[in-house]
Amino acid sequence: MRAIGLSFRAELPGLLRGDRGRESVEHAELRRWLLYLAVIVVGAGLFGAAVGSWRAPLQSLYTAIKLPLILLLTSLGNGLLNAMLAPLLGVNLSLRQSLLAVLMSFTIAAAILGAFSPLLYFLIWNTPPLAADATTNASAHSLVLLCETGIIAFAGIAANVRLWQLLRELSASAGAARKVLFAWLAGNLLLGSQLAWNLRPFVGSPHLEVEFLRPNAFEGNFFEAVLGHATNLLSF
Amino acid sequence: MNDNNPPPIPPAYNPPGPPGSPNTPRALGDDPQDTVSITGPLSAIEAILRHPRRIIYQLRQPGAGHIVFALLLIAVAFSLVYGVVVGTFSLGAQLWAAPVKIAAGLVISALLCLPSLYIFSCLSGSQARLAEVVGLIAGLLALMTVLLIGFAPVAWVFSQSTESLAAMGALHLVFWIIATYFGVRFLATGFAHLSGKPGGLRVWVVIFLLVMAQMTTTLRPLVGTSEAFLQTEKKFFVKHWIEQLEKPNATLPTQR
Repeated sequence: MRAIGLSFRAELPGLLRGDRGRESVEHAELRRWLLYLAVIVVGAGLFGAAVGSWRAPLQSLYTAIKLPLILLLTSLGNGLLNAMLAPLLGVNLSLRQSLLAVLMSFTIAAAILGAFSPLLYFLIWNTPPLAADATTNASAHSLVLLCETGIIAFAGIAANVRLWQLLRELSASAGAARKVLFAWLAGNLLLGSQLAWNLRPFVGSPHLEVEFLRPNAFEGNFFEAVLGHATNLLSF
Repeated sequence: MNDNNPPPIPPAYNPPGPPGSPNTPRALGDDPQDTVSITGPLSAIEAILRHPRRIIYQLRQPGAGHIVFALLLIAVAFSLVYGVVVGTFSLGAQLWAAPVKIAAGLVISALLCLPSLYIFSCLSGSQARLAEVVGLIAGLLALMTVLLIGFAPVAWVFSQSTESLAAMGALHLVFWIIATYFGVRFLATGFAHLSGKPGGLRVWVVIFLLVMAQMTTTLRPLVGTSEAFLQTEKKFFVKHWIEQLEKPNATLPTQR
């Protein structure tokens, strides 16, 4: 435990600064894997707990479990595909290295999410309950959702900037690094959005019961739902 | 020919230069004053007002824990004292409630914002350790509260002269803004020496200001009176402040 603690103190700030990426991918010892997993579970878990706390304490627990799960399942589910795409697009990475590179970016995102979770919790604590009349609290509702989106966007951008820097270090050309980054992003977006759809709810609706998964969790998909909403919007 | 004297040539603008150029701030420790040790709270107050680089230098030395402790002690003690002055407007239970709320509000705001400041400092490339970031926040709080103590006599005189809640609230808000400006300036100086870029810090300062502003509403009432120690109704600070301003002739109901 002491070794992991020492590693944590040096490794995480280094990852955030962007000066540990290459070393972390080339020296993939067990401690590093465990550290990344721990940061994802704790960081994304804390943020999930804050997101779910608006609805109910039980929803807070469920979201704390589900948010890290999405990050881990996305990186595992796309691990093989990412490892195949990287050499095809010009960056010679092994399966282990590509998996660790994606985990590294998720670790950075989770660390940022975790650091912002006290602020989000404070915001939600000061917001009228979600169960209250939605029309009177529309501005509060919008503010919380905007803040959540903003924090997630910031974490995602920061993580991908560091991933881009790492791929640039590992590849011969900037073009190849860019292609790999966008290919990985596309794959992660595809799987991640669907997993998020399956594992909903995260905030929870005041008119529905608090539950880990909706009864229709595996019916339909994220893109069908987006298309349905878009069709409704256009057809009035 | 125009025989008037030509206008004086303005001095050339010298943008901040690269390391080693005349415009670069001197490295910590170059000035002998930087290395003078800080022995306790009084020494820390003197240093943070007259020579903040001394605090920043000492925070980077081994065993800086006692300086952080001294700064936090100053922040808590002085915010309690300023809180008593705030409480003199309403008297009664506010004499103890306002100090407790103001001290707790400052410390909780700093704790809520500490993780994001550390993340911002790392993302901007700073080599600062968590302990140094804690020290800088403690310095920010200490400088803020020292300045608030400077404003305390003025605040007390006004609190004895006016009965308007909105006027007193606005006055304390102005003092808080001025104190925060100098506190943030200390923090920015510290970050400049820790080689961080200022972009992330600016965002963090906005977050910190919003959290402290919201804390004034979360822990309300700070200036006026209430039957309960804390209000249960959830509100955002902008709405609360506007409501206070819109109240016609909001004054203290009983004591005044």
